[in-house]
Amino acid sequence: MSEVRKIIHVDMDCFYAAVEMRDDPRLREVPLAVGGSSRRGVVTTANYEARRFGVHSALPVFLALQRCPHLVLVPPRFEQYRALSREIRALLRSWTPLVEPLSLDEAYLDVTDAGRPATTIATEIRQRIRHEFRLPVSAGVAPNKLLAKIASDWNKPNGQFVLPPGEVPAFVRDLPVRRLWGIGPRAEERLRAHGVHSCAQLQQWSAHELEQEFGRFGSELFLLCRGIDHRPVQPARIRKSLSNERTFPEPVASPEDLEARVADLHEELLADLHGQPELRRRVAGVFVKVKFSDFSSTSLSRSGPHGSLSRFLPLAREAFARSPLPARLLGLGFRFHPTPSPHHQLLLPLP
Amino acid sequence: MKFRANRDHLSQGLGQVLNVVSTKPTMPILRNVLLEASDGMLSFKTTNLDLGIRCAIQAEVEQEGALTLPVRKLATIVRELPNLEVQVETDDRPSAKIHSGGSQYQILGISAEEFPPLPTFADQHEFTLPQEKLLGMLRSVSYAQSSDESRYILNGVYFDFRPEEFQLVATDGRRLATVGHELEGGSPTTGQFILPAKTVGELERLLGQGEGVRITFNDRQVAFELDLGDSLRDSGMVENLYLVSKTVEGRYPDYQQVIPKEAGHRVQLERELLLECVHRAALVISEKSNSVKMRLSENLLEISARSAEFGDSHESMALQYDGPEVQIAFNPQFLMDPLKAVPQDEIYLEFKDELSPGVFKTLENFLCVVMPLRLN
Repeated sequence: MSEVRKIIHVDMDCFYAAVEMRDDPRLREVPLAVGGSSRRGVVTTANYEARRFGVHSALPVFLALQRCPHLVLVPPRFEQYRALSREIRALLRSWTPLVEPLSLDEAYLDVTDAGRPATTIATEIRQRIRHEFRLPVSAGVAPNKLLAKIASDWNKPNGQFVLPPGEVPAFVRDLPVRRLWGIGPRAEERLRAHGVHSCAQLQQWSAHELEQEFGRFGSELFLLCRGIDHRPVQPARIRKSLSNERTFPEPVASPEDLEARVADLHEELLADLHGQPELRRRVAGVFVKVKFSDFSSTSLSRSGPHGSLSRFLPLAREAFARSPLPARLLGLGFRFHPTPSPHHQLLLPLP
Repeated sequence: MKFRANRDHLSQGLGQVLNVVSTKPTMPILRNVLLEASDGMLSFKTTNLDLGIRCAIQAEVEQEGALTLPVRKLATIVRELPNLEVQVETDDRPSAKIHSGGSQYQILGISAEEFPPLPTFADQHEFTLPQEKLLGMLRSVSYAQSSDESRYILNGVYFDFRPEEFQLVATDGRRLATVGHELEGGSPTTGQFILPAKTVGELERLLGQGEGVRITFNDRQVAFELDLGDSLRDSGMVENLYLVSKTVEGRYPDYQQVIPKEAGHRVQLERELLLECVHRAALVISEKSNSVKMRLSENLLEISARSAEFGDSHESMALQYDGPEVQIAFNPQFLMDPLKAVPQDEIYLEFKDELSPGVFKTLENFLCVVMPLRLN
């Protein structure tokens, strides 16, 4: 891939909260969180007002209320978010067919061959979304997906950042390693122990040294810390799975907590699935992933086309019971058949 | 406890009970076999709480007693012992000293008191059948059990004891197999239970080693007592094999409702020939297009399959048929399963149209309803 690409990452600003603020003027001036209705639930999205109090997604509701006692909590309306997301995607496709949705509120566009400057397109996209949907959105323009995603975050909210190819080396050198795809708090901690904070420092490591420290991810990191990312924008990606996982600041310790969290994750996962009818027909099985407080993780799966909560709960309980430790991360997901079967198996009319 | 026994007898006994033990049990004791020595006999018991099994071998018992030992490890050790004569003696640690020739082991166990007892029954129904009969019946339906745990009622074989007939049923919602055994002079008992898939598998493994099998059951449990055949007696086994299992709780769906009452058309087919044709036709299919088409026209059955990945296949066989042309698509596995499972040379296929089920039948009270695939 020698040609210089032009990638735009479009990212809706605190999407669910923004939709609620748009639809109910009373919510516009208050700290707002969309999330679990019970006290045991967690925050799905918080608006910027709430974020000032330290309320963020995945925070348990009771903690969010401690940090911000006057926080307004509204239950999510996934049906609504999904419908909007579909319309926004359709709008994005009017610039290029090369649109790869990442989730309900994010997408990559490859506008290399659009024949117009990427910056102009990004500006148009943001204006149109603001105008037609009255929702704030940020965009990043860069030569690849990694940098476009970092760029969209640069001037959030309601902002845009363009990283021309010539400025990539300088931009990446000063970039904190935390910004790289795949570097979470733990990897950051490990790098800090080696005195590494910026990508420039990480660039001093040989590919071999990186592999020794990070295994297979090391060789990827060698490219990422130089701002190199060859992943193409794949509009019709054949999805093998769809999952929803979350790390909890307060580890999940009791079975009751577990069930409440799983129910929340399941609701979101289903919303995501229902927005994609072509996937719904291809469900091959379900899986559950649990990461414990010692970072050990386990997963369980079952085959079959059913995706109700009662399919996930026993799996989650079983996975959770595999360690006496509390869980810091829970994930639920669907696995899919490679492509929709052209034939439809008829069922016996069992009562 | 102190006894002497033959190494191969020990191995035989352990082999019968080993399978029940889960590799990842919920309690350490469930990894163990309960050994009990008394009256010139050593008995073996294992359980996974849903399913338990007991058998016994002859032994020279010097001192009666009981201990549980890790069954897989014990079986491995016994198999490798150098001499036929094996002496076992337990102590209070608790552990067992095993001697054979120059080999000595001391294996750590768990006290016998902690072993969950196998249930015993009161108020039970009782029924006796030849083992070969029950084995044949189980095999002709067990492939149709559901493995989808969200439909746990279907995760097993339904045993239905009716006044004039004993019937087994299994279904996964896409096909349903049933087989009946007519009872001359009426049934000694009536009642129903659902036997869990794991127990079905275990029974299929154990049946056929002797004459009869006695089935006793109540609302929650069922026991199978298997007579030992000569070969098992020759390898040191005594008494009967005893298997006790929880049943699947719940009501089995009214399966009679999905068995087509009237046949549209019926053809007679050579079972093995049809099996081979379906098998060969299905060689070109892929995960994406998992179907074969059956096309019936005058005196001809054609079976074809196609996938974008590999291409086409076509098989034809002659038969007697003078009805209209009919084309039906099926999952080939659903055709091959019953064809493999029944022993009869001749099989009948009943069908109506492309959206109605196909029904395999034999003259021996067997039928298997298979739902077709709708071609998009």
